[in-house]
Amino acid sequence: MSEKYKNRIELLQGTLDLLILQTLLWGPQHGYGVSQAIRANSGDLLQVDAGSLYPALHRLEKQKWIGADWKISENKQEVKVYRLTAAGRKQLLKERSRWEQISDAIGGVLNPAKKESGS
Amino acid sequence: MKLWWLWGKRERELEKEIQHHLQMAAKDRGERGASLRDTEAGARREFGNVELVKEVTREKWGWRWLGDLYQDVRFGLRTLRKSPGFAVVAILTLALGIGANTAIFSLLNAVVLRRLPVPNPQQLVQFTYTFPAKGPENWNSRFGYPHLERFREQDDMLSGIFGGVGVNQVNVGWHGSAGLAQCDAYTDNFFTVLGVAPQRGRLFVPGDDRRGADVAVLSDQYWRSRFAADPAIIGQTILIDQLPFTVIGITPPKFSIYAGGARDLWVPLHAIDRFTPDPNRWQASFTSWLLIAGRLRPGVSLTQAEAELDLIHRRLLAEQLAVSERRGGQSMQHLVRESHLVLHPAANGMFSGLRNRYELPLKLLMGVAGIVLLISCVNIANLVLVRASRRRPELALRMALGSGRARLIGQLLTESFLVASAGGVLGLAIAWWGGALLVRMISTGDSPVPLDVRPDWPVFAFAAAVSLSGGMLFGLVPAIRGTRVDPGSALKQGAQGTSGPSRLLDRALVAVQVTLSLVLLTGAGIFTRTLENLRHVDVGYERDNILMFSVDAKLAGYPKERARALYQAVLEKAATLPGIQSASVSIVRPVDNQYYLGDSIGQVDGRKLPDAEIINVAWNAMSPGYFFTVGTPILMGRDFDLRESGAGAGVVIVNESLARQALPGQNPIGHRLDGAEIIGLVKDSLYGGARAKPGPVLYRSLFQGEGGTDPSQWVGAGAVSFELRYRSGAGLVDEVRQAVASVDRNVPIFHVKTLRAQTEDSFLRERLLATISSFFGGLALLLACLGVYGLMAYVVSRRTAEIGIRMALGARQLGIIWLIMRETLCVVLAGVAVGIPLTVWLSRYARALLFGIAAADLVVFAASVVALIGAAVLAGFLPARRAMRVDPMVALRYE
Repeated sequence: MSEKYKNRIELLQGTLDLLILQTLLWGPQHGYGVSQAIRANSGDLLQVDAGSLYPALHRLEKQKWIGADWKISENKQEVKVYRLTAAGRKQLLKERSRWEQISDAIGGVLNPAKKESGS
Repeated sequence: MKLWWLWGKRERELEKEIQHHLQMAAKDRGERGASLRDTEAGARREFGNVELVKEVTREKWGWRWLGDLYQDVRFGLRTLRKSPGFAVVAILTLALGIGANTAIFSLLNAVVLRRLPVPNPQQLVQFTYTFPAKGPENWNSRFGYPHLERFREQDDMLSGIFGGVGVNQVNVGWHGSAGLAQCDAYTDNFFTVLGVAPQRGRLFVPGDDRRGADVAVLSDQYWRSRFAADPAIIGQTILIDQLPFTVIGITPPKFSIYAGGARDLWVPLHAIDRFTPDPNRWQASFTSWLLIAGRLRPGVSLTQAEAELDLIHRRLLAEQLAVSERRGGQSMQHLVRESHLVLHPAANGMFSGLRNRYELPLKLLMGVAGIVLLISCVNIANLVLVRASRRRPELALRMALGSGRARLIGQLLTESFLVASAGGVLGLAIAWWGGALLVRMISTGDSPVPLDVRPDWPVFAFAAAVSLSGGMLFGLVPAIRGTRVDPGSALKQGAQGTSGPSRLLDRALVAVQVTLSLVLLTGAGIFTRTLENLRHVDVGYERDNILMFSVDAKLAGYPKERARALYQAVLEKAATLPGIQSASVSIVRPVDNQYYLGDSIGQVDGRKLPDAEIINVAWNAMSPGYFFTVGTPILMGRDFDLRESGAGAGVVIVNESLARQALPGQNPIGHRLDGAEIIGLVKDSLYGGARAKPGPVLYRSLFQGEGGTDPSQWVGAGAVSFELRYRSGAGLVDEVRQAVASVDRNVPIFHVKTLRAQTEDSFLRERLLATISSFFGGLALLLACLGVYGLMAYVVSRRTAEIGIRMALGARQLGIIWLIMRETLCVVLAGVAVGIPLTVWLSRYARALLFGIAAADLVVFAASVVALIGAAVLAGFLPARRAMRVDPMVALRYE
C-alpha cells in the first residue's frame, strides 16, 4: 500500500477532465466506476480521490459535456450513471489534441537530440 | 419555492451517489479479502471527509448562496428557539408595530389612496367652482343643470362629461317586500365615460335618460344581498318608492365612484322627476345640486381643460345673471365676477365627506403608528445588541475558526429577518382584525361604512416593506458591531465586557425611545383633552332622555299632499306612548348629519335691507313642543301652537344671535322678518354640533302655509325627525316601531338614536384620534419602560463585580441604588430634553383637529413628562433593587 502511494503521480491541472471524458467514451459509468477505470487503465498509477472526482463530475455535468441518468443496480439501488454528450465528445477531441501538443512539446524539451534525429 | 425543492433533490442525490461509491469500494475490498469491519472503514478512509467532498461538490452547482441561506435560516431558527424569551418579546412587539401600521394603512388606502376600479382613473376629473371671497372653504362641487348642458355642448377637451345627483335613501319593493337602499341618478353616459362594462345585462345607453325614464342598474353587492344573485332579475320590474322600474343590468363587483360610499342602484337622471316633480329644475340658474365629472382626452392636461371650461362657466354665469331677477344684487354680481371653474383630479374618487373628514386624522395616525413601529424596532435593536454582546465569545470563536465576517453579518441579519417576517405575518393578522375594528369605529349609520379594508396587494406590499425595513433597521447595526471583534481578546474577556462606544449606543437607543414616547403621549393628551372639551360644550339643548327617529313618507309611496297627515298621525301616536313626556317633529334634528337648511332675510319690519346687511340664517321647521322636548329654553314670548298650522304669512321664532343681528338692543317680539311675525325668542343652540359657533337661526312652524322656502315643500320631499322626551327608555324603541306600524305598516323608521348617541357620533373623528393615540401612547410608554428596564438590567449584570467591590468596601444600599438610578435618570432626561422641542414642532400638524386647547398645551406637556419619567424610574428601580441585593462574596467569586 505504502509502495503504491510513493509511485502515485499528482495529476496535472485540467487533465482530470480529459481522463473522465476519455473514460466515458467507452460507455456510461457511475462515479466509482470512473475512478476505478482510471486507476486500472493507468496501472494503479493514477488514483483520483473523491474530493476531486465528484466536483469535476458535477462541473462537467453543469457544462453539459456529460449527462447523467439514474439507473437501478443489481441490488435494487438507484445509481447515478454518467455518459458522454455530443458536446463532450467534441470537447474530448479538443482536449486530446491539446494534451498531445503539450506532451510533444514537453518531450521535445526533454529529448532535443532525439527529436532532431527523428526528423 | 421550486428552487428550494430542486436544491433538496440535488442534495439527496449527492448523498445517494456518495453512499453508492462507498458501498462499491467496500465490496471491492471485501472481494480482495479484507475483513468486514475493515472494508467499510477502509473505504471511508480512502474516500476522505464525506462532508468536505459534499461541500466542494456543491460549490460546483453555482448556487452556494442558496445553501448558505438555507443553513442560515436553520441556524437562525435554532438560536431563536434556544432563547424563546427574546424571540417572543421581539416578535410580539414587532407584530404590534407592524399590525398597527398595516391596519391604519389599510384604512388610509381604502379612504384616500385606492384608485377607482375603472380603466385609466387618472383621466377622471370632478368639476368645482370657487366663489368670493377667496378662501379654502369657498368652493362648491354642485352645479345647476344648465351648466352640465353647456359643458357637454361646448367643451372638446374631455372625452365625456356626466352629471348626477343622489336620490339618497329609497324604498325598494320587490314581490311585496320592502327594503331601504341608496340610490343615485346619473346621465346616461355615466358608465360609458367611466369605462365600466356590465357584469350582466346592460348599463345605461344613450336614450335611457329621458322624461319618464324607468330603468335601473343594480350594484353587484345589492344584487347579491337583496336578490340572492339571481340572474333572472334582469328584465323584471322593481318598485322604487312605489314607482315601477325595470332592472337592466348589474355592475361589476366593487364599482363605486366614492371612497366608502357604495350605492345600491342607479337610475337615469331624469327619473328624479318621477320621485319629486320640479319643472323648474332643468332651467333654473344659480342652483347647486348636480355633481359634474368627466374624463380628459388623452394628452390633454388638467390646466388646459380647466382654462377652456372656465371660459364656458363664466360666460354662462354672465348670461344667466343678465336675465335673472336678482341681477341688481351686488353679491350676485360679485359672484359672477369672481367665480372660477376648478377641476379636481378624481382618480381615487369624487369628493366624499368621509375622505374630507378622515384624510388628515388618518395621515396623523399613520405618522403615530410609524413612530410606534420605530420604537419597537429600537427596542428590538437594543435586545439584539445585548444578545450580540452575550454572543461575543461565540462569534469570536467562529471567526477564529475561519468564518468570514460578511458571512457572520449575513447570518445575524438572517436572524433579524426571521424575527421580522414572523412579526410581519402576525402583524398582518392583527391588521386584518384591527382594520375591521377601525371601520366600525368610524361608522355612525344604521350599518357600517362600506369600506373594503381587507388586505389587498398594496397592503401586503406595505406590510412586507415595513417588516423588511424594520428587520434591516434593528438588525444591521448590531450585526456590524457585533462582528467587529478581535477574536483573541474577546475570547479571553468572555461575555462580560463591551467597549465604550457601544454602551453609548445602548443608551442613545433607549433615549430615542423616551423621546418618541413623549411625542406620542403628548399627542394622546391633546386629543383626549379635545374630546373632553367637546363633550362639555354647552350646546343649548339637553342630551339625556331624548330618543329620535326619522320617517320618510315618500318611502311608503305617499304623495306630498298626504305626508302631512301621516306625520301628524305618527306624532299623535308617539306622544301618547306611556313614559313619554313630550314629543315633537322637525326637519333638522339636533346635531343633524343629514340636513343643513340655509336661507336669507332681506326685510326687517318692512324695511328692505341693503345688500351688505342681508342676514344669512340657518333655519328649521318644527311642530309645537320642540323646544320643550330638546330642552332649549324659550327666553321671551311663546312657542308655536297648533292653530298656526296653515296660517297666512305666518309666525317665526328666532334665537338670540338672530335677534341681536336683526334687531339690536330691542325686544324682538312682535317685529316682522320678511313679513313673518316674531312670536318667541329662544336661547342660542349650536345648530351644527358642538364645534360650530352660535349663529342666527330662524325657526318656522312645520305645518304652516306658503312661502319662498316653504317647509311644506320639505314635508313630503325629505325625511322628518321625531324627538321624544322620555322618563324611562326601556323597551321604548319597540313601542315606537309598533306605534308607527299601527299608523301604516309600510312606513319604515330609521336613524333611531338617542340624542346622546347622536352627539357622541358627531365626535367620532375626535374619538377615533383620542382612542387610537391613547392606545399607541400607552404602547409606546410600555415599550420605553421595557427598553429602560432591559438596559438597566444589563448594566447591573455587567457591573455586578464592581457593585460587589463597592459593597465590600462599605458602600451603603442607598448609594448603590442611586448609582443605578442616576444612569436611568440621565438616559430619560436626555430623551425628554430632545422630546420637548420635537413635540412642539410636530404638534402643529394636529392643530386643525384640536378644539379648545393649544397644540402645545402646558398642562398636557407637564403631565406627559411626569408620567414618562415616573414610569421610567419605576422600570429602572427593579434592576436597581437587584443591584442592592448583590452579595459581595458571590459577586467577587463570580469574576
